Amino acid sequence: MLILKSVDDLLEHIRDVQESVIELSTDSLMKMSNFIEKNHLEIDEEISTSLQYQDIITQQLNASIEAINSMRKSIDIFLHAQKSDENLANDSLKKLQVKFTATLKEAKEKRSRFSGKSAQNSSDSDEIEFF
Amino acid sequence: MPLVIFVDDSETALASTRMVTNSMPIEVKQYTEATVALAEIKAGMKPDLIITDLNMPVMNGLEFLKELRAVSSTSRTPTLMLTTETKVELKEQGKALGLTGWIVKPFNPAQLKQAITRVLRLPA
Repeated sequence: MLILKSVDDLLEHIRDVQESVIELSTDSLMKMSNFIEKNHLEIDEEISTSLQYQDIITQQLNASIEAINSMRKSIDIFLHAQKSDENLANDSLKKLQVKFTATLKEAKEKRSRFSGKSAQNSSDSDEIEFF
Repeated sequence: MPLVIFVDDSETALASTRMVTNSMPIEVKQYTEATVALAEIKAGMKPDLIITDLNMPVMNGLEFLKELRAVSSTSRTPTLMLTTETKVELKEQGKALGLTGWIVKPFNPAQLKQAITRVLRLPA
């Protein structure tokens, strides 16, 4: 099961990179917005939208970090089960695959849900919905 | 001046809304945690409009809305959800809790201003 350990290490690395990207992009945007506010600059629609994309990027990355953490937990459970009883390994492998599939499905659903207006192809008129 | 509170766990999202509302005749308070905003409301703060994000740790926007509706001073306060979330079921849940409207990020600055003006009935 060395291959699974390698997959786990790779997932951990991807998660760490994503967390760094979130931190850097937040820092970058806060510096820009501080500059805009400090100098009382008026922002137009395009700049406002660009600034807001950072929030969407963060949510997308956080959703995939959640999926990575879930997959790593499943790998950990499998590796422990496999250590304690090799006969259970095949059964555990099937369960692992089911969990991976479910996690991936949820992650893809979140990608669509957290894309905001950019994913909806909507016009400006349906941007705000009053009930 | 009417008091508008913004709740969003993202500092960058709050900065974006601040840049849009700073020229409006409103008082703005911003919170990164719904629990903190709720505690201030329970302590006597009376916002005229609440604009909240949905996906937040500790207390999400719908949980916050439910709590707001249980406090007499905010049981009918206009509340807008400002979120990247587009799931219809969640919109329906918000509607059932008396949500005033749903704004999908990234918002158009002019339309956010119009929405606040409309809800607060400010002079156009």
